[in-house]
Amino acid sequence: MSALAGLKRWETLLFAVLLVVMTLNGIESKYYWGVGNFVNLFQLSIEKSIVALMMAFIIIGADIDLSVASVMGLAACVMAWTFQQGAPLPLAIVMALGAGVLAGLNNAFWIAYVGLPSLAVTLAGLIGYRGVARILVEDRAIGGFPLWFNTLGQQALIGPLTLSIVIFFVLFGFFALLLHASAFGRLVYVVGSNIQAARYSGVRVGLVKTTMFVGSALVAALAGILYAARLGSVRGDTADGFELDIITTVLLGGVSIFGGKGNLIGVGLSLLVILNLRNGMGLADITGNTQNYVVGGLLILSVLIPNVYQDIQNKWKGRKR
Amino acid sequence: MTKYLMGVAAAALISLLPQVATAEEGMAAPGKDVSMVLLPKFLGILPFDQAHKGAEEAAKELKNPAALQFLGPTPQNSVAGQIEIVTNATTQGTKAIMISNNSGDQIVPAAKAAQAKGIKVVTWDSPIPSSEGEDVFVAQVDFNDIGKVMADMTLNLTGPEGGEFAILSASPDAANQNAWIAGMKIALKDPKYAKLKLDDIVYGNDESEKSYTQAQALIDKYPHVKVIMAPTSVGIVAAAKALQDEKLCDKVKISGLGLPSEMLAYTKNGCAPQFALWSFVDLGYLTYYTSYMLATGALEAKEGAKFKAGRMGEFTITKDPTRAKGLRILMGPFTIYDKDNVEAAAK
Amino acid sequence: MNWLRRHVRPEQIRELSLLALIIVAILIFGSLIEGYYSFRTFNRIASSVAIITVVGVGQTLVVLTRNIDLSVGSICGFTAYFVGTLIANHNGINPVLAVVISIALGAAMGVVNGVIVAWGRVPAVVVTLGTLAIYRGVLVDLSGAKTVTTDSLPQWLVDLPRLNVVPIGDLDIRALFVIALVIVVIFQFGTSYLSFARRFYAVGSNPEAAQLIGLPMKRIVFVAFVASGALAGLAGFMTLARFGNITVEAGRGLELSVIAAVVVGGVNVFGGSGRVTGAMLGAIMIGILEQSLFRVGISEFWRDALLGLLILLAVASDAVILQRLNQLWARTELKRLETPAPAPAPGTPQS
Repeated sequence: MSALAGLKRWETLLFAVLLVVMTLNGIESKYYWGVGNFVNLFQLSIEKSIVALMMAFIIIGADIDLSVASVMGLAACVMAWTFQQGAPLPLAIVMALGAGVLAGLNNAFWIAYVGLPSLAVTLAGLIGYRGVARILVEDRAIGGFPLWFNTLGQQALIGPLTLSIVIFFVLFGFFALLLHASAFGRLVYVVGSNIQAARYSGVRVGLVKTTMFVGSALVAALAGILYAARLGSVRGDTADGFELDIITTVLLGGVSIFGGKGNLIGVGLSLLVILNLRNGMGLADITGNTQNYVVGGLLILSVLIPNVYQDIQNKWKGRKR
Repeated sequence: MTKYLMGVAAAALISLLPQVATAEEGMAAPGKDVSMVLLPKFLGILPFDQAHKGAEEAAKELKNPAALQFLGPTPQNSVAGQIEIVTNATTQGTKAIMISNNSGDQIVPAAKAAQAKGIKVVTWDSPIPSSEGEDVFVAQVDFNDIGKVMADMTLNLTGPEGGEFAILSASPDAANQNAWIAGMKIALKDPKYAKLKLDDIVYGNDESEKSYTQAQALIDKYPHVKVIMAPTSVGIVAAAKALQDEKLCDKVKISGLGLPSEMLAYTKNGCAPQFALWSFVDLGYLTYYTSYMLATGALEAKEGAKFKAGRMGEFTITKDPTRAKGLRILMGPFTIYDKDNVEAAAK
Repeated sequence: MNWLRRHVRPEQIRELSLLALIIVAILIFGSLIEGYYSFRTFNRIASSVAIITVVGVGQTLVVLTRNIDLSVGSICGFTAYFVGTLIANHNGINPVLAVVISIALGAAMGVVNGVIVAWGRVPAVVVTLGTLAIYRGVLVDLSGAKTVTTDSLPQWLVDLPRLNVVPIGDLDIRALFVIALVIVVIFQFGTSYLSFARRFYAVGSNPEAAQLIGLPMKRIVFVAFVASGALAGLAGFMTLARFGNITVEAGRGLELSVIAAVVVGGVNVFGGSGRVTGAMLGAIMIGILEQSLFRVGISEFWRDALLGLLILLAVASDAVILQRLNQLWARTELKRLETPAPAPAPGTPQS
């Protein structure tokens, strides 16, 4: 069975699940099929969705970045703190993005140059970057951003779509092209499936990893700024704990944790499934706790059922012979 | 005949007019179908369950055919979860949202969107700091008063010679705890408390384990501390156990805000001789009444409006003196618990 | 150097370097904090480390087989709450029975993980991310917002954390720490000397080879998860004993601390190498950092940033020391090969 056939099967499965979820949602709540609701569905998790796109790269490259949520928080806090010190907001935003780049470079240094496992480095980053965010903001909440910033974060920009949603779709297209149609994308797959072979073939593995981790942190910083705009206010715990959802989304999208396999279409479908599922449950007044374990169960079943099905198929074929 | 029929028709038409026009000023008109959502900071701890009980009691009295939705996020996803619930409630055309706000001003965009759709947003237990997006805040007690009570209890426990004390709070982002601590700091400026010295403020995040280890760390770092003040029902219990485990209950006392049923053992054995709280059941009851009346138009959210909330009596909406802007309904006194009254209250 | 090479395995070098780092940390903190060198500090660190160590042992087994168990926090919390409620309702329950129930409950949850990973062929990270949410979710739904409080618990349980098993003068070695030590010793001996336990290493370091020589791969992975669950269950009991007041959020985030301990302790996340004692040392290192940072006069808000930095440095210096040692090793080996060796006596094996 070629890898492509396997991929296609995963996407089809996800698509089928998506249709089922959407149908159930429509039956359950009359508020589901509304433009406003669909916009909300995306908006409520748009920053996580943006970061998930880049996380797909990292996991395909056989690494992990646990620090993304903390970088989101750090960027938001850097922006808020700089703004509060009197800087104009555009400058504060640039500083926040810069903080993201620095965090990414820090990650990349220890992972690509020193050679430490990415799990360890980004775990330390998860704790450390959140800590730096706390140093800046302490127990305060910083708000009072200018109207243009809040409007961009909260109101519709093009038709019913907000700036964040537009950015998401643009990034989706960009990353899809990057991953599937560019040389860099191929390098990511190679590094992910067999890093030794990549090294021996002359691939500059260090450079690839550095690009990915800096990219991941930069995208996380952008997401953090968008999140701050949507909420209108920044605290030390901004985006706390988001990494779990982001990784769940990517894994549900068919990206293998061992690297080298997966594609962005799967991740996109997985996003749609999870967002619709959560939205439907929210409209049915099912709380976050239950939502979590439904998604958890879905995650397990999505891999388990095809495996079991294949086992049954194999046994059946074996018996026929 | 025609005149008679017209009279009947007229009477019928008049009776169809919204009952608001005929309701007494400040009295709730029962029986209306008002869908409401009770949204605590997060699910899973007793105070919020008690508030739910109180709200259900009010719902029954008011004979609201629409069931009360008690929805809340998980503690680690509290902010995003609260925003999501408010947004979904807005989509579903709920009439009133009662929120114990854990999201600071981050909930403002969602709350304002709700208000724009005509939904009443009533905060309880913890307000929206900037008061934007909020119709009125049902305050369990005056937040500055809490600070004074905390200071009094501390002085009581150290004795007139004063001493060192520390604060174990919940989350560094919890608006209500932060307000209470700020109130306490203001109260401490009074010369009466001159002998009290605040060593440190640490955060237990409303987590049992973290509060426990933070309390231990306080005792380690400040060997002369005499009182640990914990204005969080999770923190006070954990700190009390920490003191008990360290066998330090004679030297260090714990106080703050706690539930009698959870603090019973520690008050009786002297670790927590004095602490305070209000009734969450009453708070939920009052919040429900307020929201119901706002949603049905029997009450307007403006300064000076008076209303009667069932068994709890009359209340007036006033300006909130503890915030820059915002309206407040002040619920009422709190109870100081000690070994004399804690057992009765714990039932 | 040759002696070192002949008698000490590479993993042990790693642990020795970690031990050296721990000593350095203690010295540094000791100079910054007055009254640091006291039995109280020891007990503080020992109590906080005990629970993470026990779970860390189980996690090590799982990680050795090239898997991961993210559900340990939920298993620990579930067990703590469930057993706590059980004991609160039946105060006369036999303590040993309570411990056995905790372990059995944890093991049962580990069985679910193990079955799905081994026979369902679902990647461990997927399964345990899912069960993390499911176990926690079921706990919250079933619990009804009650908190297990100490006044409902029998005295033996409340007193357990203060129980001195081996009082050496003023130093109390307390019960929870002893449990952790015993677990570490048992599992370390097991994985070093028992052949069926050595299989964990085989499965993780070279799965294809392990398969070829006929190891029952699925069963081994399954056992690793059951062990991880059982130990998380035991940790749940220890959590109940230590904290007494258990909310539905108990154990939340434990998996992060455990993985940090395991990683700092030198267990390779790609499987196949690392030791149970390494996990314990990792837990001790992080425990020391966490407990001591509070006492150094820095504000609460600086602690996490420093903690992250120090964890990073611990892992990095560990790796760097190991790299240097390997280079030194290789160089002495090279030198040994280059100098002409005296003709070996007949019958002596080449070294």
